[in-house]
Amino acid sequence: MELENKKIKIQAKNLNVYYGAKQALFNINLEINQKEVTALIGPSGCGKSTFIRCINRMNDVIDICKVDGSIEIDGSEINDKKVDVVMLREKIGMVFQKPNPFPKSIYDNIAYGPIIHGLAEEKNQMDNIVETSLKKAALWDEVKDRLDEPGTSLSGGQQQRLCIARALSVSPEVILMDEPCSALDPIATAKIEELIDELKKSYTIVIVTHSMAQAVRVSQKTGFFHMGKIIEVDSTDKIFKNPSNKMTQDYITGRFG
Amino acid sequence: MAGTGHTVKSYEEEMQSLNDNLVKMGSLTETQIAEAMAAVIKVDKDSVDKIVKNDGSINELRSIIDEQITTVLVKRAPMAVDLRITLSTLKISHDLERIGDLAKSIAKKVKPLPIDLPDELIGSLRRLGDLVQKQLKEVLDAYLNKSKDKSIEIWKKDEQVDDLTNLAMNEVANYLQSDKKNLEIATHLLFVTKNIERAGDHITNIAESLYYLIEGEYLEGARPKGKPIDS
Repeated sequence: MELENKKIKIQAKNLNVYYGAKQALFNINLEINQKEVTALIGPSGCGKSTFIRCINRMNDVIDICKVDGSIEIDGSEINDKKVDVVMLREKIGMVFQKPNPFPKSIYDNIAYGPIIHGLAEEKNQMDNIVETSLKKAALWDEVKDRLDEPGTSLSGGQQQRLCIARALSVSPEVILMDEPCSALDPIATAKIEELIDELKKSYTIVIVTHSMAQAVRVSQKTGFFHMGKIIEVDSTDKIFKNPSNKMTQDYITGRFG
Repeated sequence: MAGTGHTVKSYEEEMQSLNDNLVKMGSLTETQIAEAMAAVIKVDKDSVDKIVKNDGSINELRSIIDEQITTVLVKRAPMAVDLRITLSTLKISHDLERIGDLAKSIAKKVKPLPIDLPDELIGSLRRLGDLVQKQLKEVLDAYLNKSKDKSIEIWKKDEQVDDLTNLAMNEVANYLQSDKKNLEIATHLLFVTKNIERAGDHITNIAESLYYLIEGEYLEGARPKGKPIDS
């Protein structure tokens, strides 16, 4: 299957990342298409999480971390000093491995982002954002009668969907997911995967996963990282049926090392 | 072709056992076709029962392979080359089983044959049978060596099988025309000829599966076809 000629949303060019003296990413060049799911796979420590943390400049908070090279979103350099990181992160939501709801009510978990970004002036506007975000995250029907209960009272899978709803509440364009299902059971995982399918119609999604089966199920493009380098990027179909690189093949078939 | 083995040893053993069973099946099928053809050429009626009975071993291996593949799919969710090996083994084992069935059908036609068939007729069947046996041996060797070039060569050579089939069909037609009483025997011989040709088709299927296993792509384009009868 040929990669369709889609619009590039995110483009990394010659990206290098260092943690102190240790180089974590080497000359990464990667294009991420708009409104598509890109899966990043590779063994632990290969740099895939470091890479997605570059996309919303999460590495800024690590003192010893130095990023050079370029990441453009819609053609604009995000590492530019003039870029407002808060605004950048409004555009790029992130969901982590372990669901991390705030110790607040379900409602306030969703309302928090829109409040700090000043997205709603009136209560009914905020109600609307909360409802829409929860609906988009396929959680509304399960929580609509208990919005004032703590987010932490939900099941693991529901908490993860709450975190996705929270990310959606500030109307992002890109959603980064760092192993979003690794702490979830198969049914909760299936619900998140179903949600990813739905969300890709409106958002650009980058997902880091250790599950090959998940990468095959949810993504259209897959990138294989190894020791800080990108080894192969191609359509997911090609990567899992007939990868070009032997190292990719050895990794996905369980022959590594 | 995968180079290093799987980290999980039992996965490695399962794939090896799958390969061993397919090779065993190939070797049995080769013997069956060779013996069925020899029985036709020599009109050796005594060997028929043994050939019919031995087909059971091929069927049994196919069932074992089916079961092993189901297990591999469920347990391992094979990817990339492992996925292609698994799918190709499934298809190849079914083609081998069909070739085994055809060998059995050919053998069954020997019993009613007279011992004094014309030399030209026997000669044309022998040439067709020899070519199909050679194709089968080569495709099994190509599988062992994972030879892409050989798989293409065998695939293309089916044209010659078609040509020799047409010649054999013409000989059967001549035999029938020489005496209308030959109708029943000629009908049996037409089935024998057609069955050898069908075995050739399954061999080209195997070549296609092998090519997919090696390249991850399908052999494209129409296979060359032999000339139709009387052209």
